[in-house]
Amino acid sequence: MLRRALQASWIASAALVGCTPPAAEGPRDARVTTFATLPDWRGYWITEGFASDISGYAPIDPAASINLVFSPGPWRPGRAPEPPQPGTVARKSQGWGYPMMMNSSAPLQFLVTPEETLIVNSYRDIRHVYTDGRTLPAAEDRWPSVWGESVGRWEGDTLVVDTVSVAEPMKYMFFAPTFTGNAAYEERLRRVGPDRMEMQITITDPETLTQPWVVKLVYVRAPGLDRMLHDAYVNDRSELDGKRIHDSAAAVATPSPTTRTSLSPGRACCRT
Amino acid sequence: MHRTSTRSVAPRSRLRMRKLRTYARLAAGLLLCAWLLPAAAHHSRSMFDDTRATTLSGTVRVFQWTNPHCYIQLLVPDANGARQEWSLEMGAPVYLYNLGWRPGTLQAGDVVRVKILPLRKGGRAGLVLEATSADGKPFGKGL
Repeated sequence: MLRRALQASWIASAALVGCTPPAAEGPRDARVTTFATLPDWRGYWITEGFASDISGYAPIDPAASINLVFSPGPWRPGRAPEPPQPGTVARKSQGWGYPMMMNSSAPLQFLVTPEETLIVNSYRDIRHVYTDGRTLPAAEDRWPSVWGESVGRWEGDTLVVDTVSVAEPMKYMFFAPTFTGNAAYEERLRRVGPDRMEMQITITDPETLTQPWVVKLVYVRAPGLDRMLHDAYVNDRSELDGKRIHDSAAAVATPSPTTRTSLSPGRACCRT
Repeated sequence: MHRTSTRSVAPRSRLRMRKLRTYARLAAGLLLCAWLLPAAAHHSRSMFDDTRATTLSGTVRVFQWTNPHCYIQLLVPDANGARQEWSLEMGAPVYLYNLGWRPGTLQAGDVVRVKILPLRKGGRAGLVLEATSADGKPFGKGL
């Protein structure tokens, strides 16, 4: 009798243990807890006043939008970027690079995790901002790149980012500032409303600037984006660097269509 | 005293002039770039003539939803009624998508009216500023 009672007690205990959730994994729980404290920056963001029209260009208000280029910085004599002139040929860019990707019409996405914040735009410009406590690489481990090296830290809801090793931005992006590869960048980024983020960037570059330059930027939501769009440059027909504007021979090869003066039923192609 | 004063003022004056020249250049740049600067990263729009916007009506031969630019290949009747093909550049798909355009927004055979900036050097090519259907409706999904 006693043995049966002990067996029943043992089975009941075992069943109870079986129903208990698995033992908590300390580090994983800590990560989840940290994740929950991070701000929600989901969505797609564009520099305020810099949204493109269908031409791929924008009727830009420079004072409001291209702050990194045309707000009056403390440039050393002869180091300020020259304004582009009509009729001049500019070289092409494969993307915006840093810091222009943070001040462009190309939509940005911020993927916030405990270990890093990934900043991506539609031109496949990518920044890894490490927030795992690491410091910037030692001087001997650095080399200049288009996007540089970044580490970050959270001060409340503000992400503070330090960036170095950015190759001269103007060599990559034709109207970027003329900073040198020795420039240091500090960004302070935070969301200030449902559809608004603010960024303050301080550039220190003694070779081109007489003092650190503080530039303020605002990001607003890209209204029509429900996903980030990327694609390869498969149809680059622009005439720059001596190349042709278009290949009419290839274009003419397809037979001409029958003219249609009305839209197909059900096509959602007209703004109402 | 006079010489000392002149020496101390002249560099300041030169510095002031230099600053004024810099600000004037920046101001000129602001005015210029209010119209000229690209929203696209790919290249400036300096190859297109901002002073000669024109309107074309024609039939779409093909609409290319491609990077780094979308293109409308448009068949436009000339003065003799012969159809001439124009190659019309637009922004990258991401910019058009944000404005409600999709790959099927234009299809072969659609009649469209476009406002364009022609190439400075001439030729049947340009940059699309506006596009509407034959009955004047803008394209793109309502956002």
